[in-house]
Amino acid sequence: MIERQLTLIMENKPGALARVVGLFHQRGYNIDSLHVDPITDFKPYEFIERELNIKFQKNEVSRLIIKTTVGDTLMRQILRQINKLIEVIAVSDNDNTYLKGILRDENLL
Amino acid sequence: MKLAGNDMLIQSLINEGVEYIFGYPGGAALHIYDAIFNQKEMQHILVRHEQGATHAADGYARATGKPGVVMVTSGPGATNAITGIATAFMDSIPMVVISGQVQSHLIGTDAFQETDMIGISRPIVKHSFTVDHQSNIPRIVKEAFYVATSGRQGPVVIDVPKDLTNPDDLFDFNYPDEANIRSYNPPIKPEENQIDRVIEALKNSKRPVIYAGGGTIASNASNELREFNSYIKAPVTNTLMGLGVYPGTDKYFLGMLGMHGTYQANMAMHNADLILAVGARFDDRITNTPEKFAPRAQIVHFDVDHSSVSKIIEADIAVFGQVKDSLKSINEKLKLESSYFNKDRFSDWHNQIANWKDAHGLNHDLYKNIDDKSPILPQAAVQQIYQTSEGRAFVTSDVGQHQMFAAQYYHFDEPRKWINSGGLGTMGFGLPSAMGVKLAYPDEEVICITGEGSIQMCIQELSTCSQYKLPIKIFNINNLALGMVKQWQDMNYEGRHSSISYEDSLPDFSKLVESYGHVGIKITKNSELKQKIEEAFSINDRLVFVDIYVDPSEHVYPMLVAPNGSLENMWLSKGKKT
Repeated sequence: MIERQLTLIMENKPGALARVVGLFHQRGYNIDSLHVDPITDFKPYEFIERELNIKFQKNEVSRLIIKTTVGDTLMRQILRQINKLIEVIAVSDNDNTYLKGILRDENLL
Repeated sequence: MKLAGNDMLIQSLINEGVEYIFGYPGGAALHIYDAIFNQKEMQHILVRHEQGATHAADGYARATGKPGVVMVTSGPGATNAITGIATAFMDSIPMVVISGQVQSHLIGTDAFQETDMIGISRPIVKHSFTVDHQSNIPRIVKEAFYVATSGRQGPVVIDVPKDLTNPDDLFDFNYPDEANIRSYNPPIKPEENQIDRVIEALKNSKRPVIYAGGGTIASNASNELREFNSYIKAPVTNTLMGLGVYPGTDKYFLGMLGMHGTYQANMAMHNADLILAVGARFDDRITNTPEKFAPRAQIVHFDVDHSSVSKIIEADIAVFGQVKDSLKSINEKLKLESSYFNKDRFSDWHNQIANWKDAHGLNHDLYKNIDDKSPILPQAAVQQIYQTSEGRAFVTSDVGQHQMFAAQYYHFDEPRKWINSGGLGTMGFGLPSAMGVKLAYPDEEVICITGEGSIQMCIQELSTCSQYKLPIKIFNINNLALGMVKQWQDMNYEGRHSSISYEDSLPDFSKLVESYGHVGIKITKNSELKQKIEEAFSINDRLVFVDIYVDPSEHVYPMLVAPNGSLENMWLSKGKKT
């Protein structure tokens, strides 16, 4: 069990944050810390726009940073569950990034 | 075209090809119900309780593959729908639930019949939408149907504040041709190299088992699965949710596996060197203790849901995508290599399985040699229902011993014919889901195998069956107690029967159903079983309720030994373990 950081890019819509937080509770994971703000500078996320063929507008998406303490297997499960949420665009931990159907073996966020 | 919110909602459902709306009106849904009144394309089915609406829509969806549609009002209407939504969620059934909500300016004020439906339903929906403006209604409905029916299917809730359905406020209505959700992208094509690895694993295997579940039915991949096994000729087992996806009477079929699976199915899984999981999710009723699950098997997992793979059992080879596409792709390749899997390839393995079956397989002839010296066996009752209906009926079920007996002794040769609440295990599911099936297939035989406990959880729907003239056949396997709970109390609590008896408070079911205008038949002895079940099947214009009094001491076997057991640890009969 080690502390890990997850980064999520998700639609800035009412209720979206509750789905992520709710998922941690439903699946029995604990959140150590949580930070969320709307993204204004999209430079670091151009690869998402490219890979998913979409275009971000100002204040349309948020970045979430969650710290949690779990083992490896559970971490993978958390990433996959989060990636399944309809309003989540991308999610990373230290080793992997899920861009909806696409998996990358590195932290791109 | 300009429409008000209520008409937009209804016109959107019509555009989606909806035939039936299962629902119950109320204050917050009044504008919507006025729009339902003003159209002819869809029929609204007025249930007697919102739980019935969700199960009926669920039964419709399971039988047809099309999404079920539910309409409820705010507050208690919405909360009553929750059990049915959770049932659909656990079994990945496509469903769209529209709930009325109090007016926008009242939200958050504890208004009359206000409840946070989005919040309450959040853990049990695939996704949910709140309508924030009338002009978004067409897009939201389009997206809701798309999400419910694509990828791993599931229920979707649309919460609609009453003011946004006001008939006086008109807006442009354009129904979109397709939904486009940039953050939702269900997997499409399976990866070639994974398919090649599966074929390689098959070539190296001496003891393979195909373990196919509900996802194979959801993906409409029954034909592809049958074709797949026409090449490799491996033994096949189905989960409770998967029954019918592979023919129940096929010589390679092992029966159901898991908690009450057949001896040969569980032994084959335990001793396999290769398990091909197709649209199945290694539920705890299947694996028993995960650490002891199939110790010598390599695991191949075909699934549309990334998060299902390696959740409980680590997969050695994972093939993501709709199992229909994955099986098609593997079949293309196997076609060219079918000589590799000639009929003798797994003959030792098939012989071994035949020996297991001979030793402790189920006895499917219990209905043949019966007399009135002993009470009716519930297994024999199900067998007689199977014989008389010639195995062709749609069978819905509730939860408990009768459900397991139905799964064990009614053989399903086609998918979507066996309809039961597998994941959530919802008592009360059987009757309302049968209504949904009967509406979808009015000319087919639809039967509900239930118990006197389960049937009373949604028995109010007998009235709905009367209103819409739904000639369902209900077989009540009546053992005068909550049989499955009693079985566990017999086995694990030294027979202390805590709260499983109604004492002498059960209704006379025949009189009860007759008061609704239905036909009641009572069977109390073996000599009546065949003739009275045949009599029930001879009545096709009215609902028939057959109350069958069975041996209250019967247990369901085999039964996995838990906790800490593996799949080879089973109770085979009272007091006898493997």
